[in-house]
Amino acid sequence: MSLRISRQLLTRIEEHLEQVYPEEGAGMIVGLENASGRQALDLIPLPNQRQEAERHHRYLLSPQALLEAEVSAEARGLDIIGVFHSHPDHPARPSEFDRSWALPWYSYVITSVRQGAARESRSWRLLDDRSAFSEETIESDDHRPFLEK
Amino acid sequence: MNIIRIPTALRPYAENNREYESSAATVGEALQQLLAAYPALQPHLLDEEGELRAYVNLFINEDEASSFGGQQAPLKPGDRLLIVPSIAGGAQEPPPTLTDDPGPTSPASNPTLVDHAALKTNQALIILLLLAAFLADLAWLVLAVGLVMAIGTALARPGFLPVYRLLKSRRLVKADPIPDAPQPHRFAQGLGAAVLLAANTAFWAVLPALGWGLVWLVIALAALNLFGGFCVGCALYYWLGRMGLRGFGPQPGASAGSAGELSGE
Repeated sequence: MSLRISRQLLTRIEEHLEQVYPEEGAGMIVGLENASGRQALDLIPLPNQRQEAERHHRYLLSPQALLEAEVSAEARGLDIIGVFHSHPDHPARPSEFDRSWALPWYSYVITSVRQGAARESRSWRLLDDRSAFSEETIESDDHRPFLEK
Repeated sequence: MNIIRIPTALRPYAENNREYESSAATVGEALQQLLAAYPALQPHLLDEEGELRAYVNLFINEDEASSFGGQQAPLKPGDRLLIVPSIAGGAQEPPPTLTDDPGPTSPASNPTLVDHAALKTNQALIILLLLAAFLADLAWLVLAVGLVMAIGTALARPGFLPVYRLLKSRRLVKADPIPDAPQPHRFAQGLGAAVLLAANTAFWAVLPALGWGLVWLVIALAALNLFGGFCVGCALYYWLGRMGLRGFGPQPGASAGSAGELSGE
């Protein structure tokens, strides 16, 4: 189980999440899944809809935003294949709160942003029984796992 | 017949179908038909009590089904029932509060991150505007800078915080959060505002040399802070604390470093 994503897209994710630090940032990952695997091809950064006081540790993307993202991806022959979000000053591991709100199948790319700088990105998928996340490998351009810089 | 739209993430649990045709007369009935056709969807649409999960939103065509009675809402032939999740999550525990608004919290009881980029932007703008005021002989600009600093102090934030936020949103500056006590920076800014207001009083009393001397004092202290990293106002704040004055911290917290490392105005 892996997510192929270019270094350029990973950098765009990082830059967006650094920009909104110390708040959590998030958006959708557009791509394709076929027999050869899952490939990210584009991003849709979205505004965090949580109340301002909560945004430092919570994010929310509206259903309208997701619907628009799905329709626009489908019009391009693509799909929403996942979600990216940041954990400001916290590890790039899903929290219990992440699990309770997670959808199956999606790739959840979590970036740890510490002191305003993106440090580590990891990707996770919810197990079918919803009991936990399982980590998937991030395959970037240079075929190295994108981990701690 | 009406159509149920299945979100992308749930299609693998519905035999990869994007839509499902139902003959239901209500939203609840439509969901029952969908779950009967694709039982693997159930854990992702319903919780352990059989209620819709918190992230599940239902729309009838363009409108939220909750406006029409939720699961009791009627469906007409040709209606589209859209299942659209909210996407949410977040870090496990709230991290330390970051503030670019130095406020009254105690660093000992509640570790605070102070955005020093906001402080330095504030100092740079104070220096630039006061230099412009001196060069163009604009006493009103001195008054304006003093008022901005005074208002910022009253609101417990750098006076030019809106400018900093604008620059940050355009990626011209980057946040520099550091564990620190915000109170000394607030005090230092208030002190600068007081000196500038005193300078305006000197201008009003036709003592321009005294007025501009006070303006240069503020410029010098802000520059010492911006370029040298030494905050005279913060040092004074801690000195007053050591003198036992109420409302002043006794000394820099362990996380805040020495007064000489603090930068604020």
